[in-house]
Amino acid sequence: MTAALALLAPHLMTTPPLLTLQGVSRRYGDVVALEDVSAAVYPGEVLGIVGESGSGKSTLLRMMNLEDTPDAGDYRLALPDLPGNLFVLDRFARRMLCATRIGIVYQNPHLGLLMKHTSSGNVAERLLIAGERSFAALRGRARDALEASEFPLNRMDARPFELSGGMQQRVQLAKAIALEPALLLLDEPTTGLDVSVQALVLDTLKRLQRDRAITMVIVSHDLGVIRTMADRVIVMRRGRVVEQGLADQIFQDPQHDYTQQLVHAKL
Amino acid sequence: MTLATLTKPWAAFSYGFLDASAKREMRRKMLKAIAVPGCQMPYASREVPMARGWGTGGLQVTLTLLKPSSSVKVIDQGADDSVNAASIRSFLSKVSGAAETWDTQAATLIQSRHRIPEERLRADQVLVLQVPNPEPLRPVEPNMSVARQMHADADYGRLWLILYEQMVRSGRIMEGAAYPALVNRRHVMTPSPIPRWDVPKLHMAEHLTFLSAGREKRLYAVPPFTQVEPLVFSDVPYQVEDHGALRCHRSGVTGYYMNEIPQDNGGSVFELSDSNLGIKAIRRAEGAQVEIGPTWYENGKMPQ
Amino acid sequence: MAYVATRGGERAIAQSERLYRAELGQIDAARVDTLRKTLPMLIDRVMGEASLYEPDLAALALAQAGGDLYEAVLLLRAWRTTQPRLSIAEPVLQDRLFTHRRISAAFKDIPGGQILGPSLDYAHRLLATDVLRGRPFTPAPVDPAPTPAPACQPSLAAWQKAHGLVADPAPVEVAPDDIPDLTREPLLFPAKRAHTLQSLARADTGGMLALGYSAMRGYGSAHPTVNELRLAEAEVRVRHPRGTVFSAGRVKVSQAEVTSKGKSGLLELGFCATLGWNEVKVISGATLDLNARGAAKGSPVEEEFFLYHTEPVEASGFCIHFKLPHYVTFQSSLDALRGAKAAPAPTKPEQVPA
Repeated sequence: MTAALALLAPHLMTTPPLLTLQGVSRRYGDVVALEDVSAAVYPGEVLGIVGESGSGKSTLLRMMNLEDTPDAGDYRLALPDLPGNLFVLDRFARRMLCATRIGIVYQNPHLGLLMKHTSSGNVAERLLIAGERSFAALRGRARDALEASEFPLNRMDARPFELSGGMQQRVQLAKAIALEPALLLLDEPTTGLDVSVQALVLDTLKRLQRDRAITMVIVSHDLGVIRTMADRVIVMRRGRVVEQGLADQIFQDPQHDYTQQLVHAKL
Repeated sequence: MTLATLTKPWAAFSYGFLDASAKREMRRKMLKAIAVPGCQMPYASREVPMARGWGTGGLQVTLTLLKPSSSVKVIDQGADDSVNAASIRSFLSKVSGAAETWDTQAATLIQSRHRIPEERLRADQVLVLQVPNPEPLRPVEPNMSVARQMHADADYGRLWLILYEQMVRSGRIMEGAAYPALVNRRHVMTPSPIPRWDVPKLHMAEHLTFLSAGREKRLYAVPPFTQVEPLVFSDVPYQVEDHGALRCHRSGVTGYYMNEIPQDNGGSVFELSDSNLGIKAIRRAEGAQVEIGPTWYENGKMPQ
Repeated sequence: MAYVATRGGERAIAQSERLYRAELGQIDAARVDTLRKTLPMLIDRVMGEASLYEPDLAALALAQAGGDLYEAVLLLRAWRTTQPRLSIAEPVLQDRLFTHRRISAAFKDIPGGQILGPSLDYAHRLLATDVLRGRPFTPAPVDPAPTPAPACQPSLAAWQKAHGLVADPAPVEVAPDDIPDLTREPLLFPAKRAHTLQSLARADTGGMLALGYSAMRGYGSAHPTVNELRLAEAEVRVRHPRGTVFSAGRVKVSQAEVTSKGKSGLLELGFCATLGWNEVKVISGATLDLNARGAAKGSPVEEEFFLYHTEPVEASGFCIHFKLPHYVTFQSSLDALRGAKAAPAPTKPEQVPA
């Protein structure tokens, strides 16, 4: 780990980071989506990424989920059998890594779910990809994951399109945590939900985080969500990290002009 | 020297109907198919004098393998005298001079639609299965280009998911014929619409099987002694059709796949689907010297 | 052999075929000749779908099939595939076509001029029932124009390109002898341009119209304007082994180019050509081609979708194959169905094993 990254680590952190991104840049034609972004996430912590739309925060999250490859940059997860830059993995290895070690919840449930299949089936598919071949185990583990996501079990064989938006997010969450991933990525997970539903889903996320100490990265344009969830915060603007620090510090004493604007607009 | 002495005498078509360039392509693709068991190889699939969907894929493989000393058997639904089987068999012998046979034991080359004969095939026999739809992923992904990518990724989660949901909905696997199977632990293939009864016959078989879809322009193979494992859950055993105890009302034989014939009295009778086995059993019962080879199923069960 | 007595498949199929052929009666050269002379548009359609330009054989195929177009196309295709390749003709350039008819809906007049040529477009579609009462219909003679139209015409797209109006993707340079041949290679996607155009040229007229029409009605994203429609004759220029190029004859061809403004702000083109004169087919095909860029997977204007589903021999063959017995597969499904009825109730969520 470089000295620069070590400086960014919270003072009490003694373990090395689970996730390390260094110098990630990505352009789409003339548009700069990410410019030399570095970040670290420590085991068991929740990293929040905030910024307005177009700031690159979702692109960064998609990079962490290996859905896209940057023009430059290095991505590592401190997991056994995963040495080296993950961006250079082949398609097959990427797919297996994403399916088994990383969970993701998208804002748009159509991205994360097979709408024509049952909710429990959506969770079971993850387990199937990972090689689970016992029907009883599939059934049981799918139920456990749905239960942990506080999804009503009497609807476990309903198809997502028959469910409300909040329930769809819970199915996505169950699918994401079914294999107990090392890393859970949340891309605006509650955006577009009613305020009351949003609070309930955030509640579930908090409980899961507390019970299982899952390492999470949450992206949101909503500072309220980030403040509820995150231990540390990265502020992004125009593809660059403009400020990062402990959540309290960012919200109480924002340093960068842009962060100040964001925080004041919210308050 | 005249032009006539330099050229071959005129013929309406080449030996075995397909011209040399078509056969060369077929041979190459068939070898590739053997090299990567269960993997679908695209091929040009020439037009043949038969409608697409009527066995043109199987026909092209058979035509490529035929030689004058071949003995060819063609069955449809297990029957040699089924109309389309009869039509294909007579075409094959007409263009190749190969002998026609109904006897599974005597055949060197067997083209079949929807069945594998009940008598065990030997190492010196080749089975060619006609395939309407070569893509096991079609129910979850109708787009061929995407499905091809999924095979490359061994991305079969959604195929398993269908089985999971059948279990949830119906309490059992509801796949009928064409039960998907993992070949050589790598590619999922559809074994063509053979009944579930026949799929285990492909596992570690002595004979070579080609599966060919003329309309969809894909062929694949199960080489001898290759693992063919139907997709099943570890705690839900693979279930073949419940025919083990049924008795053929013509031949009296039990323990094989049957056709059900509804009767006026509201009931059903059954007859052997493998018609040649039925004929041989009847003739043997009548006292004729008939050799019936060892069968895959014994007493209605597939030995493990 | 009681087992077999009730079947008799071989005799049955022989007699069934006889019954069909008895209906058609004797086929002789005169019948074939009459078909060829009196039904040129039908002959053209069959030659296009068969991708074999031979009016006599096309007429023979129609006679043998009793006018069943899918059968006629299959007969010709099956014959065609056995024939040796003697030579590969040189590419035909637009401005070398002997043009009989050439119209553009994009401009009132175009360089080289609009040439109406032979058409029923403006005819009143009245049935000449008098013919049936013994009064033959004799077409009025054509009054030749004072100055004949020039035989060859420039391409309109060339003019548009010169004005920078057209999105002009760089052509893939392929030597004529190396142009991919759809009849010798499988069609894979994304398709090679040559395969796409060949597949469109061989496509089923009716099927292409159905899908093209759905795009025209609004299920496509681009509304076509007919940039240029041509009915023409093309010289088949072949290289002699000694190196000289000579004309081996002419074939009738039709081509359509349709256009609409693309996302780039420039005109985009859709193209389709086929053997024989068949306006509906080439306009439909060009419309599908125009809409194919960036089409969603599974939409009717996606290349894989429309090329697979307008292949006349494959589509018609698969359709009629459902007449074949399927009792083995049906029995297999029946077994699963009965098994499910007999089985304990499906897993209820509350009965989930722990």
